[in-house]
Amino acid sequence: MTNLLKRLFFRHALFLAAVTAVLAGFEFLICAVVSTIDVPGLLAELLNNVPPAVREFVRQSFGGFSAADLLAFGWNHPIALAIGAGAAVVMAARAVSGEVENGALELVLSQPISRRRYFAGQVVFAVSALSLLSAAGAAATLAGQRVYGLRALDGRTLVLLALNYCLLQLAWYGLTLLFSVLGREAGRVAFAGFLVALLSYLVLVIAQLWRNAAFLLPWSVNNYYSPREILAAHALPVRSVAVLAGFAAAGTAAAFWRFLKRDIP
Amino acid sequence: MPVLSLENLTKSYGRVRALRGVSFAVEPGEVFGYLGPNGAGKTTTLRILLGLVRPTGGRVLLFGKSPSRAEVRARTGYLPGELALYGNMTGEALLDYYAGFRPGRPAPLRPALIEALGVERPAFTRRAKFLSHGTRQKLGLIIAMQHDPELLLLDEPTTGFDPLVQKAFRGLILDAARRRRAVVFSSHVLSEVEAVCGRVAILREGELVAVEAIESLRERMVRRLRVRFRNSVPDGLEATPGVTRAEVEGKNATLWIRGDVNPVVRRIAREEVERFVFPEPELEDIFLTYYKREAESR
Repeated sequence: MTNLLKRLFFRHALFLAAVTAVLAGFEFLICAVVSTIDVPGLLAELLNNVPPAVREFVRQSFGGFSAADLLAFGWNHPIALAIGAGAAVVMAARAVSGEVENGALELVLSQPISRRRYFAGQVVFAVSALSLLSAAGAAATLAGQRVYGLRALDGRTLVLLALNYCLLQLAWYGLTLLFSVLGREAGRVAFAGFLVALLSYLVLVIAQLWRNAAFLLPWSVNNYYSPREILAAHALPVRSVAVLAGFAAAGTAAAFWRFLKRDIP
Repeated sequence: MPVLSLENLTKSYGRVRALRGVSFAVEPGEVFGYLGPNGAGKTTTLRILLGLVRPTGGRVLLFGKSPSRAEVRARTGYLPGELALYGNMTGEALLDYYAGFRPGRPAPLRPALIEALGVERPAFTRRAKFLSHGTRQKLGLIIAMQHDPELLLLDEPTTGFDPLVQKAFRGLILDAARRRRAVVFSSHVLSEVEAVCGRVAILREGELVAVEAIESLRERMVRRLRVRFRNSVPDGLEATPGVTRAEVEGKNATLWIRGDVNPVVRRIAREEVERFVFPEPELEDIFLTYYKREAESR
């Protein structure tokens, strides 16, 4: 498996380095913004001029306007979510359908490596990469706080935020991996995975904005990603862990089952 | 014990039956040709032998075990018909990558294969996407053979090789057979298979038409001879021993000959001939041979 992991590292290194740099840069930038601009004042002024539904949505997104709330929002910002989902979806799409599409899977699986090991190698690599990505984001927030003299989020809270972020991305990875073993074209698979992630986010936004759509909340995976709850409780809600980990595990298990049975290519 | 055996192998894709009751076995040291036109089911058979494709029915054993076991593939080398190498890896990195799947087994044949196939230095340092089709094919063959596998499965292996490399390739296959390695070699070019194989299986639309020694295939084969006479086509050509069918058009005659060609050559030599074309037999001619046999047996 070392051979396969080495190959995966070289294949994804540039992409993952770029994605990690963008996420870390974004979280660092949020620290700079929070420390140098009067964001609470600006937001309060802005909220006076928006409809009540939007005001409610912003209130739910931010919780409050303390430095900690704003930094936590940096982890729930659409850009941060898109970066993580992008990394997860691309790795999952490349894992099987990408290799089928470029024709390489046939030669790889004709070598003495079992499908189980091949699949395990892909999952181990993705879990490691997404953990590192989340850790890099947390490290950037920590560095940003130090540089700009903020004492908003302690180490434990940051670890919990990163863990919650990682679990959300693993959920997208598991789902897209299932699409990947069913498909033959990485582009389509990645599109489908990203579309589901986007729809999940939109469902969350609509359900928060519009009272009549509130019943949709439990159906959005993003509903179980809750930086604000971590801030409030100083703990990762069990429900979040259970749903996100369950979603990731179910997607991965279904993908594994299908991968063992599918014809190659 | 045979290196591989197939019994009544079937494979369906929905309503399409890609393989119908294919059975044969290959012994150590045998070079076995697997002939058939494109779409006949050759690649599907090879993929089933590697556990890449699941058969719908029948039994497949490699070294007495199921092909889905990784240990079986450790003893097998494979060259796919549509070889796809990672374009961003250099030739050397590719050879090392695939050798790395057998950590306990080195690649003893790599230097000899590189020399025999005439792979030049730039092939190892350039990325695969910048290499010619022929060079990539040579790398594919080295990947398949470098660990000296007991069974070699080669799907249309000579695509992209020039005649000199084809000759070197034939030498490598015969060497492998001398070392008691079994080789299954799929092709739609009869002459290629004829040059190295001891036995052939002929596949058409997923069904085995025949499994025969190459010698008996040669004897049975109906071959086409085209002659243009200076004057007119002589009478009674079709009555010449060995001629199974004759078509005449003006001064041109096409003769289908089975077995010994000498009586026909002697008969034609009595006339003034303008053009004499006796091409290598093609798959079509083989199928013709077997259709004729089927018709005769009815």
